[in-house]
Amino acid sequence: MAGSRTGRERSRRAERVAVPLAGLATAALLVVMLYYPVGTVLVEAVTRDGAPSLSPLLDVLRDPFYVGALAAAVRDPAGVPAGVGAWFVTSVADVLGALAAVPGAVLAPDRSTLGALAAAWTTFVGAFPPFGLFGFTAWQALLSTLASLALGLPGAYVLARFEFPGRQTIQSLTAVPFVLPSIMVAVGFVAAFGTNGPLNDLLRALGLPTVELLFSLEIIVLAHAFYNAPLVTRIVAAAWESVDARTVETARSLGASPLRAFRDVVAPQLAPAVATGALLTFIFTFMSFPIVLALGGLKLATVEVWLYDRVQQLALTEAAALAVLETVVSLGLTYAYLRYEDAATRGDRVASALKREPLAGLDAKRIALVGYALVVGLVFVLPLVSMLVASVTGPNGLTTRYYEFLLQRETTAATSQTKPGVAVRNSLLFGVGTLALSVPMGLVLALASLREGVASRLVGVAAMAPFAVSGVVVGLGMLQGLVFGVDVFGTRLAVGGPVAIVAAHAVGAYPFVVRNVAPLLGGLDRRLVESARALGATRARALVDIEVPLVMPGIAAGAAFAFAISIGEFDSTVILAEGSRAYTMPVAVERFLTDRTLGPATAMGSVLLVVTAASFVVIDRVGGRYRE
Amino acid sequence: MSSLTLDGLVKRYAGTTALDDVSLEVRDGEFFTLVGPSGCGKTTTLRTVAGFESPDAGEVLFGGDSVAGVPPEERDVGVVFQQYALFPHMSVAENVAYGLRFSDDPPDRDARVAELLELVGLAGFEAREPGELSGGQQQRVALARALAPEPELLLLDEPMSALDARLRERLRREVREIQTALGVTTVYVTHDQAEALAVSDRVAVMADGRVEQVGTPEAVYREPETRFVAEFVGENNVFEGVVRDGRVDVAETSFALPAPDGRATFCVRPEALRIGEGTNRFTATVEYAEFLGEAVRVGLSWRGHDLVVRTDSVPEGEELVVGFDPEDAVVVG
Repeated sequence: MAGSRTGRERSRRAERVAVPLAGLATAALLVVMLYYPVGTVLVEAVTRDGAPSLSPLLDVLRDPFYVGALAAAVRDPAGVPAGVGAWFVTSVADVLGALAAVPGAVLAPDRSTLGALAAAWTTFVGAFPPFGLFGFTAWQALLSTLASLALGLPGAYVLARFEFPGRQTIQSLTAVPFVLPSIMVAVGFVAAFGTNGPLNDLLRALGLPTVELLFSLEIIVLAHAFYNAPLVTRIVAAAWESVDARTVETARSLGASPLRAFRDVVAPQLAPAVATGALLTFIFTFMSFPIVLALGGLKLATVEVWLYDRVQQLALTEAAALAVLETVVSLGLTYAYLRYEDAATRGDRVASALKREPLAGLDAKRIALVGYALVVGLVFVLPLVSMLVASVTGPNGLTTRYYEFLLQRETTAATSQTKPGVAVRNSLLFGVGTLALSVPMGLVLALASLREGVASRLVGVAAMAPFAVSGVVVGLGMLQGLVFGVDVFGTRLAVGGPVAIVAAHAVGAYPFVVRNVAPLLGGLDRRLVESARALGATRARALVDIEVPLVMPGIAAGAAFAFAISIGEFDSTVILAEGSRAYTMPVAVERFLTDRTLGPATAMGSVLLVVTAASFVVIDRVGGRYRE
Repeated sequence: MSSLTLDGLVKRYAGTTALDDVSLEVRDGEFFTLVGPSGCGKTTTLRTVAGFESPDAGEVLFGGDSVAGVPPEERDVGVVFQQYALFPHMSVAENVAYGLRFSDDPPDRDARVAELLELVGLAGFEAREPGELSGGQQQRVALARALAPEPELLLLDEPMSALDARLRERLRREVREIQTALGVTTVYVTHDQAEALAVSDRVAVMADGRVEQVGTPEAVYREPETRFVAEFVGENNVFEGVVRDGRVDVAETSFALPAPDGRATFCVRPEALRIGEGTNRFTATVEYAEFLGEAVRVGLSWRGHDLVVRTDSVPEGEELVVGFDPEDAVVVG
């Protein structure tokens, strides 16, 4: 008896230090995996010839290539207004002139209509501010945001206001594009909208002129909309569902028409969600990498792509300076987003949600929805289907040669060449490693972020930092810091590529665990934990016995996201896997893509799609047990 | 021997003082109630005793020993919350047995669970899920769960507030009976002064983070020491004036009042204010009359005072002569 009592006492002591220890371990991991690597990049950006210097940053800021008209501002602050003013006047005049031609062309259609519209569009799209690479990056992000809103908002309307079979399935599917490997999506877009893709086949069949979308701003914007429109749909639909029907009924009873009630009561409640979705989209597309790399190339390079190119050219100081400036912008945006989201989400469950109307029937509204469904099919389904079809279609019809090529590569490839099987194995291994790191980290950070006080708000912001730091920057930092090696007390420490890749994936993945778990954790009545503690449970025990089981759906969802993020991660992997055998499926897709034909890339992309889908299903099954 | 001592507790939150020098002694086996309006500090006091909050100054002592720095799980307290806080992923039996996992000499779990469910009138409910129970049943389970590990101290934080009036009255009697049977020292928090008077051995009335008065329900009702207590516990009619030679002038009317000379605030209970009787008599205007069933509550206005009197029937006419005897007036300051 006495023996078991001391044993019990010992385990209680261990439990008592478990939570603080887990916190310390998480903090240490964050330092090693995120802050230190990114810090090395920062230091690189403010060092020249071993001495502290601002010149790398100033060089970028003074270079018209990077910042356009603003370069003059850094050199000669007084001269700016004239330059910006001149741009504003000419481009506004151009855009207005181009747009003025639109109504006439549409009202009196003739053979020149299409041309006139296309010209107006080109002028509009080309009117980006003359702020160099940064200006272009922001401009494409703005266009992508507008496109995502245009594509996403009708979806929110349909999901929130109509009832139809499969509605919930579609609602869950809106989470999928976000975790699809971006390089695979890029391949899908090439397959769908390329010169010989189904879109041009259709145009040819109709006797219309074909369109050349590859390496154009339009296809980049469209691919960004593929990613972010579902995000907008999700956020806005959730807000719409939480509109209390009684507020609308009150407005109607006070004399407002349905439209008026929407404008006065519903729209103000949706506005914060729309703004949240837009800001998030802007942040993601500002830092977007594989989409732009694959669909735009260096011709349409954004900051991130150019940064990658600088790394490839071993211009590391310039890359570091770019990384710092990019991070400053995205960190500021992310901070704005978090502040705004905090204010915008009150997250109360509504007593009476708006009633959905059945979708069946035929009227103007529903015919418009059919049109919307076609656009959704074109943007979301066509690229994936095209990729699958292209992977089994050769010049002479059906073929398995691309898959045979993959198999053949597996057995005969030289060590320096990319083997598909190795890529699959690496991806799965890194995914499991990412889960093992990111789920506990995310849980600890979610707990920490819910405590009251300034410290916890700092934790909240620090935990979300990976959203604001690009994968390329993390990859670069890890490469310089951990992979090349660090001197610690005279001993040179270096980690291998695979460890660094798992760390980089975990950095990208844990915020999704935090975001899935924290709201559930925050929604728990704190008295549950207090009851458990009053009954004799230590803090750690209460966590294991009470909180973890109750937030299991969030943990499962977070884990599914974490795994999918790891499987699809490209930005830092492509840097860390350079010249090693630690390449993953997305890296393999990109390597095959740079070859002459699309076939092997689509085949590899299809393998990636199948593996991603399968793992998502498996995790969903495992997690689904707790969903009740 | 006092089983729980609070010595000069101070607790501040950003800008506000939740507890302002709270000192109390709770005796062994006592049913002790903290009562006061919301925000008076009664729940903060309870949470400090449980160890969920730590005081900025002062001490909590259990049986004479300070528990500063002792985590909640080591304090040997049972807590019942207003929102029950049953673990939703555990059955009734698992909820009740949860605290037994941590006891040094675990008793036979099933027997202990059955015994406690029997005690709270839920025998046979072991396999139910909390979600299937009514509010009253959930509260009984919460009570059984808190009592299962035989705590030294039972802390009840507004346990009845979410229940309807009739159930509340029944349950509070049952809680009191169980407490008496087990002899467990109990601190009960409520904003309902009638509930406090009905169940407690002693009551502490709190306001603005301070203890206004401690005493038996009868003492607190009959001899309030402050104007706040006089008005918060039961209903009261409050007068102010300057006393001189056993008489006080209120609104240009002279009343007999046995009190020392100087400014005085005194109260007269509605039942002590009588129609057409009493030494100190005056004429007031009838503002309203409410039929309560067993009595009629009449609101009066008299020279800037809002007064309440209880009578047997709805008064006729717009004016009423009322009065009170000097010995029924309680001077509160």
